[in-house]
Parts: sequence; C-alpha cells; structure tokens
Amino acid sequence: MNDLLAPWQPTAGDPFDLAKVGHLVRRGGFSASLAKRRELQRAGPLAAVAQLAAPGPDGAAMLQQLLTFDDIQRVRAWRVWLVLHGEHQLQLRLSAFWHDHFATSDRKLLDPRSMALQQATFDRLGSGVFDELLAAMCRDPALLRWLDNDVNTKANPNENFARELFELFTLGRGNYSEADIRAAARAFTGWHVRDGRFHFAAHLHDAGDKELFSARGPLTGDDVIARTVVRRESAEFLAAKWLRWFVHPEPERAEVDALAAAYEQGGRDVGAAIRQLLQSRLFFSPRAYRSKVKGPAEFVLGTVRSLGGRAKPAQLAATMGALGESWLEPPSVEGWHRERAWLSPAAWLLRSNFVADLLAGRGQQLAPAPRTLMPDSKKPVDLAKAAFLLLLDAVPARAVLDPVAAVAAAHGADADAAAAAVLHAVACLPEYQLL
Amino acid sequence: MPGCDRRSFLRALGALPAAWSLGPFGSWLPNGDERSLLVLELQGGNDGLATVIPTGSKQYAKLRPTLGAVRKGALALGDGTALPGSLAKWHGHVIEGRATVVHGVGYAQPDRSHFRSRDIWQVADPQLQRVGAATTGWLGRAADRLAGQGAGVPAAALGQLEVPLALHGQRVVAPSLRSIEDFQWSAPAGPVAGDSPLRAIVAGAAAAGDLRAFVQQTQLRAIELADDLRAALARYRPHAEYPDTPLGRDLQLAARLLVSGFGTRLLHVGFGGFDTHARQLPTHTALLGQLDAALDAFLRDLAGHQRQQSVALLVHSEFGRRAAENASQGTDHGAAAPVFVAMGGSVGGTLGQVPDLDDLLDGDVRCTVDFRSVYAELLQWLGLDAVAVLGQAVPALGLWPATGRPK
Repeated sequence: MNDLLAPWQPTAGDPFDLAKVGHLVRRGGFSASLAKRRELQRAGPLAAVAQLAAPGPDGAAMLQQLLTFDDIQRVRAWRVWLVLHGEHQLQLRLSAFWHDHFATSDRKLLDPRSMALQQATFDRLGSGVFDELLAAMCRDPALLRWLDNDVNTKANPNENFARELFELFTLGRGNYSEADIRAAARAFTGWHVRDGRFHFAAHLHDAGDKELFSARGPLTGDDVIARTVVRRESAEFLAAKWLRWFVHPEPERAEVDALAAAYEQGGRDVGAAIRQLLQSRLFFSPRAYRSKVKGPAEFVLGTVRSLGGRAKPAQLAATMGALGESWLEPPSVEGWHRERAWLSPAAWLLRSNFVADLLAGRGQQLAPAPRTLMPDSKKPVDLAKAAFLLLLDAVPARAVLDPVAAVAAAHGADADAAAAAVLHAVACLPEYQLL
Repeated sequence: MPGCDRRSFLRALGALPAAWSLGPFGSWLPNGDERSLLVLELQGGNDGLATVIPTGSKQYAKLRPTLGAVRKGALALGDGTALPGSLAKWHGHVIEGRATVVHGVGYAQPDRSHFRSRDIWQVADPQLQRVGAATTGWLGRAADRLAGQGAGVPAAALGQLEVPLALHGQRVVAPSLRSIEDFQWSAPAGPVAGDSPLRAIVAGAAAAGDLRAFVQQTQLRAIELADDLRAALARYRPHAEYPDTPLGRDLQLAARLLVSGFGTRLLHVGFGGFDTHARQLPTHTALLGQLDAALDAFLRDLAGHQRQQSVALLVHSEFGRRAAENASQGTDHGAAAPVFVAMGGSVGGTLGQVPDLDDLLDGDVRCTVDFRSVYAELLQWLGLDAVAVLGQAVPALGLWPATGRPK
C-alpha cells in the first residue's frame, strides 16, 4: 500500500475532530449541518467516507418529469435541489466534477433536455469505470453538438471534438500529436445526433485505415477510446485533476503517481480511487486543509447546508450565476477557472452580500430563521461561538472571537438581528472563503 | 518590422534606434492626463481573414468557397485589404487616421489550443510552460509599476467576474467590475452607507500563509474600493450613445472609469463567441457588427471628454483561424491574425505585410509581427519600461514618430 494513500488513522494527538469532519464534508460533498457533522464524527473516518459515498436514489421519475418542461432554469434548480437535499453527496460532487471536466454549455446548445440527460449520465456513471463514462460521453448528444461532431464527416472531418477529447478529457496537452488528432477526428466521423439521440451515420463514417499513437488500423471511435484510456498519461492527467479538485491545487509528482497507480490498479474505477483518496493520510494532512478557494457553488450551497437550512434552489442557482458559476453554462469547454480566479474583490463583495441577504430574508429565504439556529446562545460571546461552530470548524482564540462578538453586541436586545449579524461576520472571515 | 522567428527578431533589434531601451518615459506626461490602455480580447480565436480581407488575393475565393461571400460590400483600406461591411464605422476610424490595422500578428510555432494560446498572449511568453499561482500577466506586471505612481485602481477587468491572467500582478489585486451596482455593500440589517463594518472583522483575522493573505488582501481591497468607486463614477456624463449589448455596456463602464479621474490606467475587456467552427458567416458578421457599434461609441465618447489622445486601444484574439474554410462552413484554429490599435499620436491606416495566401505555413497565415512588439509599443506609449514588463528587449512597432514621443 502506498504510503500517501494509506488510510489515515486518528490518534490522541490528531483526532477525528470537527475540523477533520468539516474538511471531509466540504471536499467529498457540499458541506453538512452541524448535527450531521457530529454524527459523522461519532461514526469515524472510514464509516464517514462510506456514508458520503452511498449511492443515490433512482431519480428516473423526477428526470422524466423534468424533461417535459424543457426549461434550463428548472434543470439548474434540479441540480441545486439535489445538492441541498441529497444524501449521496460524493456522487453529486463527482457529477459536478464531470460537468466541469466535460464542460458543455447550453448557451450554444439551447437544448435543456440534452443538458439534463448529460447530468443524469454523470450521476449514473460518474463513480464507475472511466472507460464506460467516456464511451457514454462520446455518444452524448449535448457534448457531440457542443463540439461540432454532428458535422464531422468522412468527406469533411472536423477536429474540434477529437482535439478536446485528448487535450481536456483524457491525455492533456503535449501527450498526443496533431496527426493523432486528425486520426481520431476521422474515427469519430459519423458519430452524430438525430432527434436528440446518438446516431451512427455509417455512410458518413470514414472506415479507412488511421494511424493513432503509432498503431495502424481501420479505427472506430470506440477503438480510440480503448487505446486512450489505457495510456499512462490519461491516468496521470485524471489523477492530477482529482488531486487539484479534492486535495490541493498544486499536487506534487509523487502524489500524482500514487493516485494514477491506484486508479490503474483498481481497473480505472473512479469511485474506488476517490474513496481511497478521501480516506488517505494525504487527504487529512495539514497541506490539504483550507488549501483551496471556495467556488460559488461551494460557498452558496455550502453555506445553506452548513446552517442546516433550506432555501429556494432557483434563487441559489441565480446567485451562483452572478458569482461566476452558472451550472450548465460553463464559460468554455475548459470549464470554470478555479482557485484564486474565483475571488476578485467584486466577487467577494457579492458573496458577502449574498450571505447578508440570505440571513435577512431579502430575495433569498432561509428556513429556519437565523435566531433558531442558535437557540441556546444569548450573550454576544456565546452567539459568536455558536456561529463559529455552525460555519467554521472550531471556536477560535479570543482575539478572533471578540470582534465577532462585538458585532452581536452592537444589536443590543434585538436577538434576530444579533444572530444574523454574527453569522454574516463569520461568513466574511478570510478562513470562510477557503474550502 | 520585428518578425516572429528569432533571426528576424534579432535583426530588428539591431536595426532599431535605441529608444525602446531607454526605460520609462513618464516624465513628459502632463499631470491629470494620464495615459491609459484598454485591451479588448476577442475570445475563441477570431477569424482574421474575415476581419481584414486580403481582397487582392486570387486564392481567397478558392480557400473560402462559401465564407468568401464576406467580400461583398467590403470597404477598402488601400493596401489590397478591406474591412467587411459589418465594420463600417471602424473603417472610418482607420481611414481617418484614428486607428491602425496591424497585419499578421502572432508568434512562432503557434499553439492551436485556445487556453494555451490565450495564456501565451496574456503572459506575453511564447515559451510559456506552466501557469501557476505565481504566474503574472503582462498587464499585471505593468500595473505593479503603476501602483507606485499613486493610481487609485491602476487596473481592472470588465465584463467578466474573473480577473484574467493578463491582469495578475505580484502586488496589484485588480478588481473585476460588471456594473457600478456591484459595489454597494449589504449587511443583514440593510444596505451599508459609508465605511463597511467588515473592515475591522476582516483586518483583525489572522491570515497566516500565502493563500489566506491573498484572500484577506482581496477582501480589504473590495472594502476600500466600494465607496471611492461609486463616488468617482457618479461624475460621468456620456457623450455618445452606446449599443445595448454586453460589449456596449462594458465599454461604457470603461469610458466611465477612464474619464472619472479614478486613476484607472489598464483595462481588460473580454468579448466571447469567436470560436466559429461551423456556419460561421452569420455568427461572425453579427459579432463584428456588435464590435463595430461598441468601439465607435467608445471612441466618440472619449473624444467628447477630450480623452481620445490619452487612451489607447488594442483589439486582439488568441489566434486567427485556418486560411481554408472547413466543411461545416466554419473555420478551425489557426495562427497569426491582424490586431487593431488606436493610440494618440499614431497616424492610423494599415501596417505590416498583407497576408500572402500563396505562401501559407501549414495552412495558416504566416506570422510577420511578434505580438510582443505590439505590447512594447503600447507600454512605451504608456510611459512604462517595456523591457522590465516584458522581461526582455522587444523592438516596438514604430507606430509613433521615431523618438517615441507623441505629436
């Protein structure tokens, strides 16, 4: 067993405390209520990861209903609703990962049904073997149209899909040649869309010999997939991206090697690799803790979930959009720019205002009301302590606690205003902007 | 003219007067009329051959059997090229000497990845290997130097919530602005007038480590900006009517920042949608039409505020597109392409070699001007040390008269 990915064991000096649990639910999900975090703490790290990784319910009925609306706002609200209420947090986390990875935008497609079906494919296959997910994505109507493969024909090959397949989906730049792209583009000729479904147009497919990765043959799209997923570069490319997403924005070589090896040894089972990662010493190391900048979804949905509240999915989705992460409309096929790119001065001001409006019930409605989230706290310092436990992982030293308590004190006997002000103040701390 | 391969680059360095190596020219700038630069990035890879059309070439119709229709109604520039009818207003600015078309701008060994090529342009490094947390952009490095000159907000991004890599500096935290309303603070109790109560909370927090320090600095910057910015922007009155498009709104906000005396010297605006792999003609014509209307309003507004001579404009894309159209009546990722420059003191018109469609390189227009020489020109015009910002001596284009001083 590789040392970095060996299971982390709590000790007396390094226990599985609320900070560790908070780290786990923020990265392996979209945060959780204090009650849920305490429950996971009692269960221990392995059981906690297993709980997060539980498979989701069969959402077929809800999906069918959604498809009848053909409305992108509803599709977006559906995704937000699932994150707010779903117990299968890791699956949803991976679906969000794949949405960023195979970043497809409805701005070009104007096809909410295909966008919804693509999300459902992420839910269904995103925790399974990568080969199957990739095969499904290469037949995904939204992705094929997004990357112009619906006009890729034998007579006139279009390289857009093949280029992104290698550069962004599997191998990463520098690990293929322009000739490989041309060969793959020919292999995917005729992989089209008809009536909203995948359609193989045999008469438009180029069945001739192609040379890919220095091997020749009459390759089809499935041959390209099979020859690509087994390449070491693909394992390393995915491993590095998972490490950036789940652990640390700048992974080291040894970490990439370890995760790539685990993924390959596990038969390219994505869920198994990610579960191993979330249980690992690497994941629980100080290097990982609060090492990432929260994105809008992590900030907005994480705030509502951390408070154990409910809010309207459509409004939260709109807020995420205003903050730069409008699901189903990534800025480009490259996905969203992450980490420090999320946090300009303007973006932070909007985040701060979102929390203020949420707590005050302006435009956004949080239920239950802030005051009832901290029923046992009356004195300003107790309100501050309660707010830290709800939103951050621990009660801090007095030097940090006291300015927050002073915010509560400024509202005198108005308990509702004091509770809202103190939660807003904690959500504005630098620490809270980090994942 | 500084070319793109290393040999012609060095040759040009040897031949040019030493003006570019003299360092900052800030001393002659009159107070209160600080020079500013707006960089407009056409995102997705703008088709240079449909933007500045080499109408003199017989190859054009052969390479572009359907897209060649763009020549109908094109407006000649006098050097064997023409602008499409969708750029009619811009054509007037070029012909009348307010703007320049520079042909064949790019870099050697072009990268066809949008993201890679965009990073190369934004960092100003054709050999760029890897973008990390410490990577800075060319405008960010310029802003770092302006920050010491008392500028309020030396640099800002418009029309994009994210700050582009071009604006990442070592010291400067450039804000991104979408509207002035973005800069009103709210607390649970209601809108906050005056200084934000958050300052004490944020400033008092322990911010150990590089990332926490970055977050805290960003937060304090936002608090500091909000009040100042709203007050400064309220002073603006438009001198032109802007089109009601996202780009029109972004350029009006740019003009507002530039004329409000807020000290903004560098602006980056993104305008997307140029990745036209299929059915390009109607899409591209509409995009250029939006560009034309917004740029025209921007230049007229600046002129009305007597700022046209002190604001420069650069319009570029991460690459052009292949010379031949593809089978989907679109174009695939290419290499060199024209850029637009408007700059007080320059003579306008066209500059550089007209693309030779009989002499393509791997199906692409050859690069004849290193993009960094456009940057060098603009940096010098701003009064900055181009060598320091670009990390090496790059010969400037020579758009202004030889001494490098304005008319």
